[in-house]
Amino acid sequence: MTLIIQNLVFGLFVGSIYGIAAVGLALVFGVMKMLNIAHGELLMIGGYVSFWLFHLAGVDPFLSLLISAPLLFGLGVVLHQVLYRHIARFETEQKIKNSMLVSFGLVLILQNLAQQMWTADERSIQTAYSGVGADVLGVALPYTRMANLGLALLVVIGLHLFLSRTYLGKAIRATADEWESAILVGVNIRQTFLITFGLSASLAAIAGALVVVGYGLSPSIGLAWTLKALVVVVLAGTGSVFGVVPAGLLLGLGEAVSGIIAGPAYREVFGLLIFVAILVVRPQGLFGRA
Amino acid sequence: MEQVGSQLNQPTVPLRAALSARRRFSRARVFSWIVVALIALAMAAVPQVTTRSDVLNLLFLIFLFIVLGQSWNILAGFAGQVSLGHAALFGLGALTTRTLWFGGVPFPLAFAASGLVPAVCASLIGIPTFRLRGAYFSIGTLAIAEVLRITIANTLPLVSFLPVDMLATYELAPRYYLALALALATMLATYLLFRSRYGLGILAIREDEDAAQATGVRALPHKLAALVISSFFAGLAGSTYAFYQVSYYPEAPFHAGWTFDALLITFVGGVGTLIGPVLGAIFYIFVRERLAVTLVSLHPLIFGILFILIVLIFPGGLVDIGTRLRRAWNTRRASHSESRSAGK
Amino acid sequence: MLEVKSVNASYGDFQALWDVSLVVNAGEIVVLIGPNGAGKTTLMRTIVGLHRPSAGNVVLDGHSTARLDGCELVERGVALVPEGRKLFGGMSVLENLEMGAYTARARQARAQTLAWVWQVFPVLAERRRQIASTLSGGMQQMLAIGRALMSLPRLLLLDEPSLGLAPLIVQNIFDVVNLVNRKGVAVLLVEQNARAALEIAQRAYVMERGRIAGQGTGAELLSDPNVRRAYLGYISTGKNLAEGT
Repeated sequence: MTLIIQNLVFGLFVGSIYGIAAVGLALVFGVMKMLNIAHGELLMIGGYVSFWLFHLAGVDPFLSLLISAPLLFGLGVVLHQVLYRHIARFETEQKIKNSMLVSFGLVLILQNLAQQMWTADERSIQTAYSGVGADVLGVALPYTRMANLGLALLVVIGLHLFLSRTYLGKAIRATADEWESAILVGVNIRQTFLITFGLSASLAAIAGALVVVGYGLSPSIGLAWTLKALVVVVLAGTGSVFGVVPAGLLLGLGEAVSGIIAGPAYREVFGLLIFVAILVVRPQGLFGRA
Repeated sequence: MEQVGSQLNQPTVPLRAALSARRRFSRARVFSWIVVALIALAMAAVPQVTTRSDVLNLLFLIFLFIVLGQSWNILAGFAGQVSLGHAALFGLGALTTRTLWFGGVPFPLAFAASGLVPAVCASLIGIPTFRLRGAYFSIGTLAIAEVLRITIANTLPLVSFLPVDMLATYELAPRYYLALALALATMLATYLLFRSRYGLGILAIREDEDAAQATGVRALPHKLAALVISSFFAGLAGSTYAFYQVSYYPEAPFHAGWTFDALLITFVGGVGTLIGPVLGAIFYIFVRERLAVTLVSLHPLIFGILFILIVLIFPGGLVDIGTRLRRAWNTRRASHSESRSAGK
Repeated sequence: MLEVKSVNASYGDFQALWDVSLVVNAGEIVVLIGPNGAGKTTLMRTIVGLHRPSAGNVVLDGHSTARLDGCELVERGVALVPEGRKLFGGMSVLENLEMGAYTARARQARAQTLAWVWQVFPVLAERRRQIASTLSGGMQQMLAIGRALMSLPRLLLLDEPSLGLAPLIVQNIFDVVNLVNRKGVAVLLVEQNARAALEIAQRAYVMERGRIAGQGTGAELLSDPNVRRAYLGYISTGKNLAEGT
């Protein structure tokens, strides 16, 4: 029994990372109508920034977010200016398809660069407090994993406040809803796109830091994380940012349950099957409003 | 009134595109038949001339990747359904071959079955997944393929070896001829398909699914036909791989990398063209194998950049770059000779 | 204040506007009528910079707008109420209006303008927290107009504001257009409801197949036999203006 609860709790913890990974993807998809397959690669790069800051300078991985998030924001801005900007002129359906293709090319580039620079070895961070945690009725609650969950909640609350309380945040939502009307009220949507993409990359950096603390990091993890994020976005259903993190937790729990039933090797299969099933039932798409 | 009238008398866009595609196929027909026959003969003669295994391996890979690329192109390029689950079909073909062949079934039978199994599986899965459009179809098929890969990796964790007796009689030449024949057959089938009425229907769906439906082209059967033919050849490519490769993890041919290879080859060569995957495969294998020797493994980087450039700037790929250059050359020569005759 | 000079515009192969010229002076109500597909919406979109003309020029206060971004025209006092309303469907009524006052100029006066819009459309004030996409059609149209007013326009463009609405609400919207105009805002109004529109118009243009087919004062066009036949429903032969002349 304790073992089952332990599994579920760990499912919840990893689900919080799924949530953060998915928020960034959902933001770009909702606002720019672009599917950034390279989101997992941005996560991977963010993870490496945290890893090297810890490894070379001893920076605590949770503190390193203050460096890696702005850094990835910058990378996001550059990628947007060099690549994604040129896709913005297409019709929606073409835009999704072309963004998928371009970001696929980017996946190859970033993955290969990471391999050249940092080798294919799997890395992770062992901090002084890594193994330490609370114990509630025999269920281990490691501090790092609890911090993951807390950080995920903080991030989504912060993002929600930004999107609902600031003019810039509202401009981003308005652009997502009806980009032509956003232009009509004076929103510079090119700027909005730029900021959205940068923000999405920063969120990927945060997720990446959590991955390297609790799990493994290597240049090839990108695709798996992009798929996870996609599953969560589809689970969340609507464009609400608030829906994404609960969906992430749900996926984490669901994986834990299916791991208990079918064996840990099939954890991934569960999410992917749910994903395909939801897509087939609601073919209008990830953010389809009826 | 003339303006509106002339607009209406023009053929609608999908029809026009379909017609020009048809013309594209038939124009240089005679000449290309001769060239194709000559190339096929030359390729068939290679094992008679040399036994150098590096040459035969390189050509084998090119043939295999032509089939991989063209089979993807049938579905993605011609029918417009950008599948990211192609590796699943390739993997199913390989799995069927190894299961039957090692189980005592003669190879030719196992080979044929390896085309049919993926085709049947794909048509069963295709009916629900074709409800998805555009990028949703792409990521849906990617997810299905990943499910299959993970399942195979878990159920068949051990490396699949050719048995000792088969290994003792292993020869490269039969593999070479199988791949060559399959590549030619794939090209011929694609050519015939898109000269046919049914093929025109498939092209019309790519251009505008709703418009095609409105003119009486039913989308689902046409998409399914493209999927079945695509799966059939992808499965045969997988079978050829299983026949050729001495040992591999059963999961390996299901890896998404095969899909990505097919995608790169087709886009670099020219998506939605008959000759595109051929150019793409030659270019891709040549660069990959050459670079693997000299420059460690930078080829994903190079192909990533090339791929993005092609999507953003030259959506027609090498084929289109070729025609553009030829056109530019022709107009230059024409204006040159004109100015010379004007000078006289 | 607005001059459209010999504008052509196309969608791919299809040319939607042919040598269109039109003037709106300060303080005027100008109406544009014409059948479906005549290019009225394209013209409106071209004026606000959502569509680029392939030839010709849109001139605002003596300056060409060719180099301006769509979002910069709002700052100069041009606001469009688009066809089909195009509200920010996921945002509340209040947020939609706040977005209307996005530009720096409008933001300063946001509180006063908002109070005025609540006064003009009291029903919106009652539903300020409601999500825009759940409003009725009439209220959505009011919100779309309210959003445009929040930007403090000097020139208000309205594209078919009465489409699909009940007569009472249409009357209400026309009253608001008059009211706004009396505060000194020039209006360019595209309407299917030609009679009501021509009655409040100082001047009007008729558009057919991408061209300006006629113009005059509101009263002139109201009494023009061809206009009466084609747009005011006197004889329903289906003949149009061009064939009549």
